[in-house]
Amino acid sequence: MPGAGPVARAVGGGLARRKVQTLVIGLVLLVSTGACVLALGLVVDSSAPFDKAFAAQHGADVVATVDRAVATPGQLAATARLPEVTAAAGPYPEAMISPQIGGRTVTLQPMTVAGRGGPGGPLDDLVIQQGRWAQRPGELVLSSDSGPGVPLGTQITVSGVPGTPRLTAVGYASSINRSADGWVVPSQVAALRAPGAPATAQMLYRFASAGSAAALRTDAGRLSAALPSGAVTGTQSYLAVKAQETSGIAPIAPFVVAFGIIGLVMSALIVINIVSGAVVAGYRRIGILKSIGFTPAQLVGSYAGLITVPAVAGCIGGVLLGNALSVPLLGSTATVYGVGALGVPVWVDVLVPCAMCCLAGIAALLPSLRAGRLSAVQAIAIGRAPAAGRGYAAHRLLGRLSLPRPVTIGLAASFARPARAAGTLAAVGLGAIAVTFAVGLSSSLNMVADGLSHAKTEPVQVTLVGSGRGGQQLSPSAQQAAVEAALRAQPGTLHYVAQADQAVSVAGLSGQVRMTAFRGNADWTGYDMISGHWYSGPGQVDVPTNFLTVTGKAVGDTVTFSVGGAQVTARIVGEVFDTDNQGLAMLTDWRTLAAANRRLTPYVSDVALRAGTSPEAYVRALGSTLGPYADVSINGKDPFFLTLIGLTGTLTLLLAAVAGLGVLNTVLLHTRERAHDLGIFKAIGMTPRQTIAMVVCSVAGTGLVAGLLAVPAGMAAHRYVLPVMAHAAGTGIPASYLAVYRVWEIAVLALAGLVIAAAGGIPPAAWAARARTAAALHAE
Amino acid sequence: MDSLISLSEVTKRYQSGGQPAVDRIRLEVAPGEAVAVMGPSGSGKSTLLNLIAGLDRPASGTVTVAGQRIDTLSETGVARFRRQRIGMIFQFFNLLDDLTVADNVLLPAQLTGIRRARARARLDELLAALRIERHRDAYPARLSGGERQRVAIARALVNRPALLLADEPTGALDAAAGEQIGELLLDLNRSGQTMVLVTHNPGLAARYASRTVRLVDGRVASDTFTGAQL
Repeated sequence: MPGAGPVARAVGGGLARRKVQTLVIGLVLLVSTGACVLALGLVVDSSAPFDKAFAAQHGADVVATVDRAVATPGQLAATARLPEVTAAAGPYPEAMISPQIGGRTVTLQPMTVAGRGGPGGPLDDLVIQQGRWAQRPGELVLSSDSGPGVPLGTQITVSGVPGTPRLTAVGYASSINRSADGWVVPSQVAALRAPGAPATAQMLYRFASAGSAAALRTDAGRLSAALPSGAVTGTQSYLAVKAQETSGIAPIAPFVVAFGIIGLVMSALIVINIVSGAVVAGYRRIGILKSIGFTPAQLVGSYAGLITVPAVAGCIGGVLLGNALSVPLLGSTATVYGVGALGVPVWVDVLVPCAMCCLAGIAALLPSLRAGRLSAVQAIAIGRAPAAGRGYAAHRLLGRLSLPRPVTIGLAASFARPARAAGTLAAVGLGAIAVTFAVGLSSSLNMVADGLSHAKTEPVQVTLVGSGRGGQQLSPSAQQAAVEAALRAQPGTLHYVAQADQAVSVAGLSGQVRMTAFRGNADWTGYDMISGHWYSGPGQVDVPTNFLTVTGKAVGDTVTFSVGGAQVTARIVGEVFDTDNQGLAMLTDWRTLAAANRRLTPYVSDVALRAGTSPEAYVRALGSTLGPYADVSINGKDPFFLTLIGLTGTLTLLLAAVAGLGVLNTVLLHTRERAHDLGIFKAIGMTPRQTIAMVVCSVAGTGLVAGLLAVPAGMAAHRYVLPVMAHAAGTGIPASYLAVYRVWEIAVLALAGLVIAAAGGIPPAAWAARARTAAALHAE
Repeated sequence: MDSLISLSEVTKRYQSGGQPAVDRIRLEVAPGEAVAVMGPSGSGKSTLLNLIAGLDRPASGTVTVAGQRIDTLSETGVARFRRQRIGMIFQFFNLLDDLTVADNVLLPAQLTGIRRARARARLDELLAALRIERHRDAYPARLSGGERQRVAIARALVNRPALLLADEPTGALDAAAGEQIGELLLDLNRSGQTMVLVTHNPGLAARYASRTVRLVDGRVASDTFTGAQL
């Protein structure tokens, strides 16, 4: 192609001459593309994480439990060839076990254990989350979703089985179908079955038509019909698991999407700002190239090349970076979502770098076209310095302030390139919004975690678990009396209250509602009020938001509940923040529930500790006093929230880094443009420290303004997103959870933009301070 | 009388192992002297001026100005020294386009931390002496070359430096403006201001300098007193 040679040489020369700029463009594209890949990956995965994990882990539409005494292996194998079955796996032998740990001191919930040779398979591909797969009899892999949360290496004793076999927990795995609570090698299963228990096995199926519960019922019916009568003892559809998981995912998606959108917009802004800035900074060179005969088309080609080379390299690196970062981050997200594994979709890996390259190309093309239309002299003049007159008034006005002169000169500098300053303002502002939003979200999530766990207000719980000390049989009320005596005697006890839970029927509701009755004052237990007040006597109840939604009641209405045949009517006096039992709960005074159940007995005591008392030491001391008939435990926060707060922090750091990089490039362009002026400043006696102050201040003002604007925007985002999250979880939110920003925090957050700007501005400022004055004076 | 400038065996190389830009130069300048440094292009004139100003550091040798070894000072130390003891003027003025005349002149005083009232009094005095008061609030782009150089001189003198360095001060001016600037420099020298000026112009050197140092290939080829100093 005629003319390609000079263009290629101009591109090569430009790249060699502007190594730092090339590096920065590549770096910004790398980080921005990485952030976009991650952000879009998060947004996409948030939209339907279960479906994605289901596809990735080859989830089964139906997990059928079959009695192997009724169906032969041949008959089971034949089901895989049924016309509606598209894939099948199994049979995996299974057993229901009663596990205990620590000898016989702690009895765990019964567990379904399946025998599988490995985690993989055509259906329900298990994902090892921790440890390894079971390799020999005696080893157990626990479900990270539904298994007991015991440390790896814990010895679990299976009770009710000859020889009381012992299993060692060697790993944690997740199943998209929640097909079992644990897995062992297949040969071990028979030894775990209780005498007389049926020899059951799991068969996993995918069907051609499985989009609805009705279709799945039809499929399961055909499956049962294909086997001898009674062979299929139960089925579990993926829709049931999905419904359960989706209710847990819903609250998370709004905040992940909010972060994703901020990341996408910010990356686009920074790329436009940097690339167009780089081309404008090259106007002088464009003028020189024109003066030696480059045509406008050749100029556009040479500048497109100058930008494209680092942009493409950055985009490719960014895809790798985004995917590398996605491993831990989407891993955390997958944990939060309760799905086995999430990854960046392939189309995101293709779309994002293409879009970023196009964005960079357009950002380069527009100023290049403009430069192509300018005369050589005009291009040289524009490239040498900002347009004459811009920022002069700012210099005059700021010069009157009683601030050090390097500071006022630096502050005024941002007015010389208003478009670039506006781009930087937007990028830093978005970074600061993310920081403000994240700080509020973390505070609110901590309050939510405290509000749900009551870990702060009642750090210790005592639960009756046995029937007496040393084989002595005690009635539950006698045991409770012993617990309360021990609590009174234990130093460090601030107050305690006994409680009992009772499933009750509520008029107008088909299911049962959990009613918790406190024997004594319980207003300190930490149920935060959304509206109304805590009950003050018998006949009053407090209920969660979902109870009001489901029953159509409001605070002030009455509600009638019944236990057995006894009916009691109570008035709803408050709406509490509580999501236990999906918000279908009532909290009341002991006498309210006792009116319906005269044999009500407390079995849990909530304990508040005096200030300075160590919960661990208290639990050890009380546990040793009470012995095995009571379980004394620390009321901890749900790790779900800790993961969520960690995720928030990681995303915020990433966005702040992208914003800082944008600032770095802006300042770099600015210092390159003003290299000669910097030489003058230094020649007339500006010290390196004054030079750094001046250069940093050239973006500090923008950063400060961005921070000041970002605080209300970030607070507004918090105020909008948190109730959306709560609503998705089926609850309202106490006003105190939204009013989390304290005055000093707001003041500090207002400086977030300044901090981001300073962090991005210091490296080029240090470069400017180190530059040789004599050389800078000759720079044009 | 003690020298104001003392260069001892000063060598400067821009590339390691390359030809020195200045080579083992020894130079003493007494207070009140006006020294012209002359020589062909590439002879090391500007390098010598930069070394005296502390804008560059020698590869070997010592540079002492007003009793202070400046080649051993830190960057901060040399910047402070320069703004208090040295004023510089350049061929192309090196004014800051986005600052007014007054702000350009005041800048070294502001960097030094001189009180505003005192700096403004000095500004008024200099603008009057250099006959540019009416341009006080103008921007450099609106001034003629001669006026810009006057502003540059005012800026160089605002902190009452012991030494004034001038790099081709009339090189970018027409003959009339160059003549005026030359007269100004001469007046300054008459009032006791020590000056070192780099010039290509033998006439300027002869008329306005009391001593001419000629450099060739980075070495002092001749050092003659012309007696022009008053």
